[in-house]
Amino acid sequence: MRNFIAFIRRFRVLLYFALLQGIALAFYFTFISFPRAQWMTTASAVTGTILEYRNDITKHFNLSKNNDWLQKENIRLRKMLKQSRISVDSEKGEDSNVVRIDDTLWRQQYDFVAATIINSTHNKRNNYFTLNVGKAQGVERGMGVFSDEGVVGIVHNSNTHYAVVKSCLTKDINVDVLIQGSGEFGILKWDGKDPRYGTMTGVSNDLTIKKGAKVITRGGAAIYPRGIPVGVITKTEVVEGQPLWDITVKFSVDFRKLQRVYVINNLLKLEQKELEENIPMIAQ
Amino acid sequence: MNPFKYIGRFVFMVLIQALFLNQLETGLGVQGMIYPLFLLFLPVEISVIFLMTIAFVMGMCIDAMSNTYGLHTSALLAVAFSRPFIFDLFAPRDGYDPLIEPDIFSMGHSWFFKTYGLLLLIHHLWFFSLEMFKFSEILLIMQKTLLSVLFSYILSILVHYLLVKRPKKNEI
Repeated sequence: MRNFIAFIRRFRVLLYFALLQGIALAFYFTFISFPRAQWMTTASAVTGTILEYRNDITKHFNLSKNNDWLQKENIRLRKMLKQSRISVDSEKGEDSNVVRIDDTLWRQQYDFVAATIINSTHNKRNNYFTLNVGKAQGVERGMGVFSDEGVVGIVHNSNTHYAVVKSCLTKDINVDVLIQGSGEFGILKWDGKDPRYGTMTGVSNDLTIKKGAKVITRGGAAIYPRGIPVGVITKTEVVEGQPLWDITVKFSVDFRKLQRVYVINNLLKLEQKELEENIPMIAQ
Repeated sequence: MNPFKYIGRFVFMVLIQALFLNQLETGLGVQGMIYPLFLLFLPVEISVIFLMTIAFVMGMCIDAMSNTYGLHTSALLAVAFSRPFIFDLFAPRDGYDPLIEPDIFSMGHSWFFKTYGLLLLIHHLWFFSLEMFKFSEILLIMQKTLLSVLFSYILSILVHYLLVKRPKKNEI
């Protein structure tokens, strides 16, 4: 026992260093894959409030850009209004031949929550965004996030009033995507170098891939609806030693100046998950 | 020895780092980090255990505000652990005066360059290696480390002149 105490005394600095370093590294490696506590993230109440104060100041820097953005969105919505459309058979007067379809035939599958990014990074290996919405607005872990330009990420962790989003600029985001038109599907990844380009993997290289083709979400994992834009193919290369294409995709979203996003709540997610859980393991 | 001075510096460094420097886009993967300067300013005689405790708290504060989950903490702990060794390595001929704070005015430019430069290098190398965590990306780690050390060092000199008052000549 005396030897043991002597040992601890002699190496106390090293042991203390190892202890604290162990705590820090345990935090780092467990939080990347699964968030266990919330007080360490920007979703916590104290840091969330500080960041919101900062956003109150910095959001005005982009005021004119945001106004443009809102105006474009307004134009897009205004085009859908009845007043801005002309009836196809206008000779017989307005909507004489039009059959009204009862709206109750359509059930809502996706619900959207508008949110503002109050903190974000884009030059780290794993980049997370903080949103000013949380459980009070119905935002839960695993929901998709997109902006009017394209896919942004997946909600990683949420508190009463704040949420942390794992953006497309992280190591293992793995969004289900497909190439519009030809329909090959793969998985979106990011190599950590340039926030403008991602890579799409899992496409067999006997298929011809056109440069400039659009990449959209596949809607497979019950996170995003089908057809949200992801980006445009700019380069294709063969992976050495594997029958796969390495496809470079230019993101349609500029993550460096993103501010307004929407969170998707898939109302039928549970039904899909329930069915998929029943797939027998042997069949896979 | 005025504790409020240190508390003020602590809050200043954490806020500058979390709210400003971590958001700054400089290109080429360069990231400025100035908070190791706070550890350098602490008195020479301070015990390593206490130093590492301060480093842990400071790192956690920065991590909690920038979604890095312990990355800054780990790197800052490495700095705190190696500070006594590096101080011994570059000690003046007749040892450190326990009354003074180690800064440019008391120790001179060449001492500051050697000591703080080495501490920054350890910090940045630890930080970027842990962030990438892949041996095949070693070139990118090196590029980021060297460029960031240069950037952080220049920033730190500016912050140093901002925080520390030049002592009057007749006091010495």
